[in-house]
Amino acid sequence: MLGLAGLGFARAGADPSDSAQPRQRGDIQALYLKDCGVCHGSDGRGTRQGPSLVGSGAAAVDFQISTGRMPLPSPHAASVRRTPKYRRDTIRELVAYVQSITGGGGPAIPDVHPRAGNVARGGELFRQQCAACHAWSGEGGALTDRKAPKVQPATPTQIAEAVRTGPTNMPRFGRAAIADDQLDSLVAYTLYLDNPRDRGGEPLWHVGPLAEGAAAGILGLGGLLLVSRWIGTRA
Amino acid sequence: MSASRAGSKKAGTGERFATTAFLLSAAAAIGLAIVYARGGNVPLEGALILVSFGALGAGLVTVAHRLLPAEQYAEERPPLPSSEDERQAFAQDFDRGERVARRRFLVGSLIAAVAAIGAAAVFPIRSLGPSPGTSLERTPWRRGRRLVNEAGVAVAAAAVPIGGLVTVFPEGAVGSADGQAVLVRVHPELLRPAAGREDWSPEGLIAFSKVCTHAGCPVGLYQSRTHELFCPCHQSAFNVLDGARPTLGPAARALPQLPLEIDGDGVLVARGPFPEPIGPAYWNR
Repeated sequence: MLGLAGLGFARAGADPSDSAQPRQRGDIQALYLKDCGVCHGSDGRGTRQGPSLVGSGAAAVDFQISTGRMPLPSPHAASVRRTPKYRRDTIRELVAYVQSITGGGGPAIPDVHPRAGNVARGGELFRQQCAACHAWSGEGGALTDRKAPKVQPATPTQIAEAVRTGPTNMPRFGRAAIADDQLDSLVAYTLYLDNPRDRGGEPLWHVGPLAEGAAAGILGLGGLLLVSRWIGTRA
Repeated sequence: MSASRAGSKKAGTGERFATTAFLLSAAAAIGLAIVYARGGNVPLEGALILVSFGALGAGLVTVAHRLLPAEQYAEERPPLPSSEDERQAFAQDFDRGERVARRRFLVGSLIAAVAAIGAAAVFPIRSLGPSPGTSLERTPWRRGRRLVNEAGVAVAAAAVPIGGLVTVFPEGAVGSADGQAVLVRVHPELLRPAAGREDWSPEGLIAFSKVCTHAGCPVGLYQSRTHELFCPCHQSAFNVLDGARPTLGPAARALPQLPLEIDGDGVLVARGPFPEPIGPAYWNR
């Protein structure tokens, strides 16, 4: 609530004719009811269409909205990364509004500093904790009901939010699994994965050793076969 | 006259081609050395190796085909059949027939040889190593041993959120292959513990051996919404709410559950070892 009041105040400062907080809150409430309330309920406690938001925390709400996963374009659409529907400051107000109607709690938006992290250490953590589902290259992989998505593109905050809140079927990694300083390193590594240095040459879409072996086998052995046939016809 | 001139002209072209190919090969090899020394560029290095060996091969083929003399030589073979004397000697030996005086001794020695070989073949069984004994049933988990994460830090119950996942080890045995376990937390009322295991999962915190009961892979994937642990090797799925009963894939046995309790400091400790051997099923089960 304090944050909301602060936001309203800042907006009022920028536009003196705006009658500040009540109208601001009314706007954001209307937006919530239009885009979110249909499924999550006007009080955020969920309906048959969608889950309760109580205790989900600012981090989860910010992750879902800022990655464009929410609001869904239709009730049965898949929750996948899209262009976010709102501007950055609207998202901040919407997150604060959801927190205000559900009573707050849950994980706060993490404060992450990838520059303070160690990319190599982050790589180890990624392979221990993330690679099982998201693959060694962060490209994602198959699970029983759906695919674990690619980890990039995403902002450092979004990665940290996903780790701490476990969107959809992803488990939540609390501080017992990944400490805050480890999270900095982990996020630094996922940023590196967006543009990795492929020391082995052509990465073949980062699908892994199977694709590389197949390419080497088909091109290399096939080439050798053609050359030996050509030599045979010339002999 | 004209044919020999044409032949020498052909040889001249071949010589030029082969020389050019060898020089190209040398240039590519030197280029490869320079690229490598200057820090390397894998695709370029590959291309240079291709050019170097390809040109070398093309040059050698040209030399063999065009520049070496192409006359045919035939070497006479020596006569193969045995001489008449040898054949007669063999026929005599053959006609002489069987002359074994000590038949029983012969058979006895044959039996001895076969028996000795059979006995010798038994000895490699010893090379399979010492008997495993009960070692397959023991892990480092003991009553009161604390759960730690990969960094060796004790796992506090409060640091594992609902839907959370932590890979845990027994304190003092981080990285232990048979002690590794997955700790997850679910809403306590969702759990359906087996009889006698009601107090093994305090506050919805429940731990299972991370070693798949099918082929021993690490069961490291967890779908928090469906409460399923998932093995990456052969897609076995285990339902956490039902004591990690296998629901999909080749695994036939539930993951062994580690009994847990929370100590006075809020840290998770084992109430005892795994109740059954971990990992893939073996002969006496």
